[in-house]
Amino acid sequence: MRCDEVSSSGLRSSSTVIAFLLRRLAHGLFVMLLVSTVTFAIMLASPGGPSLLADPKLSVVERTEIVQRLGLDQPPTVQYTRWITRAVHGDFGRSFLYQTPALETIGTRLPATLLLAGTSLLITLVIGIPMGMLAAARRGSRFDRLVTAASGVASAVPVFWSGLLLVLLLAVWARWLPAGGALTEGSDPGLVDRLRHLVLPALVLASTGCAEIVRYTRSAAVTTLALPFVQTARARGLSGPRILWRHALRHAMSTVVNVIGLQLPRLVGGAAVTETVFAWPGIGRLGVEAALGRDYPLVMAVTLLVSAGVLMASLFADVAQMMIDPRLRTA
Amino acid sequence: MSLLLLLVGACRGAPSRADDTLRLPLINDPIFNPLLAPDLGSVMINKVLFPGLVRPDELLRPTPDLAVSWQAAPDGLSYTFVLRPGVQWHDGAPFTARDVKFTFDRITDAKSGSRLRSDFAAVAGTDVIDSLTVRIRLSTPFAPFLTLLGYNAGMLPEHLLRNVKLTDATAFNRSTPIGTGPFKVERVAPGSSITLVRNDVYYGARPGVARLVFKIVPDINAQVAQLRAGELDLITIEPANLGSVQGAENVRVLEVPVVQHWYVGFNASRPMFASAVVRRALGFAINRDAIVKGVLKGYGDLPGGTIPVALKDFHDFSAPRTPFAPDSAKRLLISAGWKTGADGLLRDAAGVPFTFELLVDKGNPTREQSALAVQQDLARIGITMNIRSMEFAALVRDRVLPATYDAMLIWWTTPPDPDQYSFYHTGQDNNHVKYSNRTADSLLALGRITADTAKRREIYRALQQIERDDPPVLVLFYPREIQAVSARLQSVPKLGIRDALRRSEQFRIAQ
Repeated sequence: MRCDEVSSSGLRSSSTVIAFLLRRLAHGLFVMLLVSTVTFAIMLASPGGPSLLADPKLSVVERTEIVQRLGLDQPPTVQYTRWITRAVHGDFGRSFLYQTPALETIGTRLPATLLLAGTSLLITLVIGIPMGMLAAARRGSRFDRLVTAASGVASAVPVFWSGLLLVLLLAVWARWLPAGGALTEGSDPGLVDRLRHLVLPALVLASTGCAEIVRYTRSAAVTTLALPFVQTARARGLSGPRILWRHALRHAMSTVVNVIGLQLPRLVGGAAVTETVFAWPGIGRLGVEAALGRDYPLVMAVTLLVSAGVLMASLFADVAQMMIDPRLRTA
Repeated sequence: MSLLLLLVGACRGAPSRADDTLRLPLINDPIFNPLLAPDLGSVMINKVLFPGLVRPDELLRPTPDLAVSWQAAPDGLSYTFVLRPGVQWHDGAPFTARDVKFTFDRITDAKSGSRLRSDFAAVAGTDVIDSLTVRIRLSTPFAPFLTLLGYNAGMLPEHLLRNVKLTDATAFNRSTPIGTGPFKVERVAPGSSITLVRNDVYYGARPGVARLVFKIVPDINAQVAQLRAGELDLITIEPANLGSVQGAENVRVLEVPVVQHWYVGFNASRPMFASAVVRRALGFAINRDAIVKGVLKGYGDLPGGTIPVALKDFHDFSAPRTPFAPDSAKRLLISAGWKTGADGLLRDAAGVPFTFELLVDKGNPTREQSALAVQQDLARIGITMNIRSMEFAALVRDRVLPATYDAMLIWWTTPPDPDQYSFYHTGQDNNHVKYSNRTADSLLALGRITADTAKRREIYRALQQIERDDPPVLVLFYPREIQAVSARLQSVPKLGIRDALRRSEQFRIAQ
């Protein structure tokens, strides 16, 4: 069994790995710098400016004071230089809206998003991969058609709509689950209470990603099942499930892993909507509030955090792919 | 998946309603400091945590709160307040005249970051007479003073904030505020909720509920869903949301007139809107009744001038409502030099059609639909109005402030006082419509320095008269706030939600 032999051997040499990681790190820092410049430019150029200044009742004097206090009277290059100088030292400024340090504000919201996104990703994988594999194994069957259709629907329906629909159905009408929030306020929430609040947003957030994973897994597995090594395995008399779950799965995964890596941006984007619909206290909603309020420090901090997350995820995906597919290790 | 369903099944019927708790929504995370916070979320919760010297009753008149009585000097240049004895801050410290002085010193301090500075620009200084008597001096008589005291001017504790810059008091502002209100903060979960508990040493009536929870729910559809699911007790909705709460057996709908006027503001510095006759004519062209019935579903009042019906002491109820009279509108426009062309469009002497752009903020169905109604009504008399919807902040900063707009559909929410000096007096910062009328100027100036209510009523009656001949703006309607409340909520002060929160001890829920 060639595959098994390869998986037990380690990575070829540690120096290759270190060089690879260093290259990726430099690449990542460059991307972050680029992201920060572009975000800053878009932010300053976007119409309206900070919502603090959009109050039509402010007097000219008050408006001028706010502009000066926030340093918005400086030229854009000065503002950016000042921002990046501080950011390099770990100071991301104070949120205009919350008047607290931007990083601290993010810190209070991060756990909720990690919980939601993590649970969603788990649901995505646990449901998506087996469904995709089974659909491929029974290609053309009624089950396959059902899975394909369901994934088509799930990826086409906007999260906003499906979220509200589920809330109406399961929370307002059936009263099985809470309509929103992360826990029942005013009481002493236990684990069960928290889990009940997690179910709907996690399912909704998982839906589109899950559909995507199903389709990728299915098509990768269909290709794999037609390969000579599968035919050989069959000829050797290995059972269908053994071929599917031990050999084909592993082979199919080398492409699917990349798609999983790409789930993070989707989770973050979806979280912004899901968190709004379900009043979930996470970073997605914070990002939306920051963007709408033109809260420059907060927008920058959220954007950079998310970029860092996406870069990390793609790095993990690459490493995982290398571990699965031996051909990539020397590349 | 089946595991999750099991979880759902297992928990069905678990007591999710912890009973003596009232739940209200906020659209954003608040800053617990009435001096610093201009956003709606902060304004609302600060009304509960930080009482002021007075508060409005159901007629919106100032009544005693932290002050039990007051005396205005005959020249109107100072007010002496006798404070309620025995009031304690949430940390147990006594509330005294020093706190009042501290608060007003901060309010008027340019460096404090205070957002109440223009409200109290007339305040010259504060003197502590004794521990329970305080005098506030004004540089000029200022009639709205008492009303403004009961609006956003919550008192701050000197003993906790004396040595810090207000904007740097992060712990106080974000997690551990200390006020004197009927509820105090128990727990703050950023982005999620603020749990308040009954203040057992509150100086007023014993609060009717044990806990008051503010949940952060920014989206109106999510608020409606949570109300229907029994997870919120009182929300304010737009007419467009009525369909989703009417007929729900656990929801009641209440309505309250609020101190707002919604209007089409014409930029009078544009030649086509400079003439009072033209502005008056446009007023006759609009079928307001159809807007109130169709767009507001009846939750609004037909207007006279800019002083809404909620200000019962000052609105001129005897004056006629602006009629819907498209023929008169056309006649007036023709008298002002416009002519109807062969195509039915109004044109000026040079043949240029009467065309302009109306700005409206994106995302509010009531305003967007009202804009469409105005567009249709004006089209009927030969005026082409193009609607441009923009994000509110962009609308204000990029177009309204620099006055690079023709017309806008917008609204003013004001304290419960008829003073509109800053909106309609010639040359004021907030006179975005560039209105200028000598007589109106003198009435607006006189109204804000006249303390006597009867005299003030006459002044504002005269102002409303002027507005009929020379309308500063085209008032569309005075909206009523639509409150959707859970059936278990028994007692709600008959006030707009902001003012109702000044009386939060009166909320009661069925056990």
